[in-house]
Amino acid sequence: MISFRRSIQIASLALFCILLGLAVYLPFSTSGLDFFLRLDPTLVAGTALSARVAFLSFLPAVFLILITLTAGRIFCGYICPMGTTLDGSDALARNRRVKNSLPESLGRVKYLVLIFIFFAGLLGVSLVFVASPLSLITRFYGLVVSPMVSLVLGRSLEVIQPMADQLDLRTLTYAQVHSIRFTTQFFILGFFVALAFTALWSPRFWCRYLCPSGALLALFSIKPWIRRRVSDDCTHCGACVTSCPMNAIPRDHPRQTRHQECITCLTCQQVCPVEAVRFSAHGHEVRRETHQFSPTRRQLILSGFGGAATAMVSLAGLSAPMAKSGEGLVAPPGLIRPPGALPEKDFLSRCVRCGECMAACPTNTLQPIWFNQGFMGIFSPAVIPRRGYCDPRCHQCAEVCPTRAINRITGAERIWAKIGTAVIHRQKCLAWEQQKPCMVCDEVCPYDAIQFKKQPGNPVAVPHVIENDCAGCGYCEHYCPVQNQAAIVVTAMGEIRIKQGNYEAEGRSRGLTLTLKPKSKTPYGQMPTTVDTPEGFAPGFDELSK
Amino acid sequence: MNSFMNRRDFLTYQLKGLLWIGVSGIVWPARGLAADIPDIAVATGGTPEAETRAVIEMLGGIGAFVKNGDRVLIKPNMSFAVPPERASNTHPKVVSTLAALCKEAGASRVMILDNPLASEERCLEASGIYDACKPIDEQMVQMVNNSALFQEIDIPGAVTLKKTDVMKDVLKADVFIAAPVAKSHSGAGVSLSMKGMMGLIYNRRIMHMLDLHTAIVDLASVLKPDLTVIDATRVLSTGGPGGPGKVLKKDTVIASRDMVAADAYAVSAFEWYGKRFKPRQVRHIREAHERKLGRMDVENLAVQTVRM
Repeated sequence: MISFRRSIQIASLALFCILLGLAVYLPFSTSGLDFFLRLDPTLVAGTALSARVAFLSFLPAVFLILITLTAGRIFCGYICPMGTTLDGSDALARNRRVKNSLPESLGRVKYLVLIFIFFAGLLGVSLVFVASPLSLITRFYGLVVSPMVSLVLGRSLEVIQPMADQLDLRTLTYAQVHSIRFTTQFFILGFFVALAFTALWSPRFWCRYLCPSGALLALFSIKPWIRRRVSDDCTHCGACVTSCPMNAIPRDHPRQTRHQECITCLTCQQVCPVEAVRFSAHGHEVRRETHQFSPTRRQLILSGFGGAATAMVSLAGLSAPMAKSGEGLVAPPGLIRPPGALPEKDFLSRCVRCGECMAACPTNTLQPIWFNQGFMGIFSPAVIPRRGYCDPRCHQCAEVCPTRAINRITGAERIWAKIGTAVIHRQKCLAWEQQKPCMVCDEVCPYDAIQFKKQPGNPVAVPHVIENDCAGCGYCEHYCPVQNQAAIVVTAMGEIRIKQGNYEAEGRSRGLTLTLKPKSKTPYGQMPTTVDTPEGFAPGFDELSK
Repeated sequence: MNSFMNRRDFLTYQLKGLLWIGVSGIVWPARGLAADIPDIAVATGGTPEAETRAVIEMLGGIGAFVKNGDRVLIKPNMSFAVPPERASNTHPKVVSTLAALCKEAGASRVMILDNPLASEERCLEASGIYDACKPIDEQMVQMVNNSALFQEIDIPGAVTLKKTDVMKDVLKADVFIAAPVAKSHSGAGVSLSMKGMMGLIYNRRIMHMLDLHTAIVDLASVLKPDLTVIDATRVLSTGGPGGPGKVLKKDTVIASRDMVAADAYAVSAFEWYGKRFKPRQVRHIREAHERKLGRMDVENLAVQTVRM
């Protein structure tokens, strides 16, 4: 039978997956889908430090700390999708017999990880993504599992579609699964495979020894109100000691508890042959202080120094964003950030690389980058127009961002969130170079930023980008029929990256004239809208003399 | 195709024909039935629905094309997320009228399919085609760009596009109707029924890499509609295919069994970029004529026009 805890864990993981699934498959924006991320204390505190911000939306993490003061690390035992996933991989490793043979002092490593992240954060570098459990697990499910799910759904659909067609279920016959693909997924997967192997040494290896959020919650769980209490009936049989997945019961003193390590999983209560264990707010408790394996001062200083040094090395990297852009700034070529992304320095200090924006992107254009922006930029999102265009009416990425690394822009202002400018490579362009009557970039451009003009000596008209009308959405690059690299490519040139303020006002002040192609609301039958074109120019027609 | 008509159909046809003669005010000399069916049927001055019904009637009624139990595929233009007055998509009433006619003729399944250039939902919504057809059959309008729904075919005698993946629905359909909107196209000159066939293949981009006009003709040599109905209720005279451009309100619907003839008529009937053009000035129409896929010499064809 599934225990109470298991069912809560499964329900919590299911909710996590449902919220992520909604972010992936819901065609319209909804807030609140990033709830689990905002529960993670490392993610929230680390971002608050590195970006010097605090949002009301961070309250779930504060609330979680209050819960921890009351009932211990129940988040770890019941809620955390990372913990549940690792319980799953532990079960797969069939490590049911707990061998608490690793040295207890390993438990301090997680505090050092936390200090490492915090000190990097103090210098403005967000290393939350390295170890925040919710960042890791959202990335895993969003960027590794979700594409596999879409692949399997797509293939299954192909199998059942002929049958659906026979049954006249045409909506199913023509249904299509949103195809999701990501780069860097093997690096994410590799990390989790490594974690799964740690089950060979101990269950919940991650939670015991490495998790910074576990460490942070442990600090508030030194003596929770509701905690493990052992009555005088205890026979010191040691059953609880060997079965504790967190190694929270001292080997020689089973009546004592290292409450910081305890995740209230109740295993000890279940295995106790004399029912001496009870989790409650009142009751008998052995008063003697248990030995806490907290890190030494030297270790703390060293890990803090390590975090700060890592931050400094990152900040000294060639492509590290500078406070002000100017000469000598080497921004990675081809790196286009999502619309509304904060100025690069602020963006990187806030982005926790959870991958939620990429998982939620309906055109799959948002992809994690690897090392193109140095260590600081790992797993941060970039627009890859060849994969998909960035829909000027969509702002799903901002909607799901837990740390507002991407500004939320609503309504008509959204089309002003310019992410770059298209550039035509004439040597690759079918019209410019091969004199073929291709006009796809113009056909698909939602901003009407491509103009075809006659060129002396060329029988076909050739495309020009009207830079002030171009928002860099990438429709043109996406649909350009030229193989491999497109003949029209979006670069970050002219992107609007502001911390606050109005994107339209900013765009207009730069002389931009961004409008979507006119969307008339004339009802049928009334005189339609008309637009003038240059005199005497009929692209695609041959001269009469032919 | 002369054994299709039973006595009842014949009488109905005669009656409807009389009706249209009455409506149009044109009195035709008494001639045999076969001679009455023009190569190109044109209706102007009515509602999109009436014009569509009129041109089909002139070509012998929908029963001349659709038999009881047939699977029908209608290919409109609906791949731009813009409203009907922008004239980048076929008028929803033209499409829904065709669909209703096919249903009336006893078609077992009528599908209206296209491969969109923008978000499927937005195209379906903005074009108005889904809403117009919903009362007839909620499932009939679908967007197709799932590669599994395409099948590779050889194009015998092709000059440049020798193979392509076409929608399986085209291969399975008993009756295939092209229902394009009349619009300009900055690459192909015009985008009418032949150019519209690109909406039924998986990789249409390759056609721009090849020779666009010749590839259009290659494709038209295998995707030949039984009936072409061109919606010229609004004509996108400039700025096509996506627009915005100059929209002419022409209140015209053109139909023919010959896609080349229908396209050729549409080229000659309207102004494009403020000028008049001959069908042969559109290279894919000229090449299609030369390769005998149809006729562009509109002046030698029987054109019947009804003014409503």
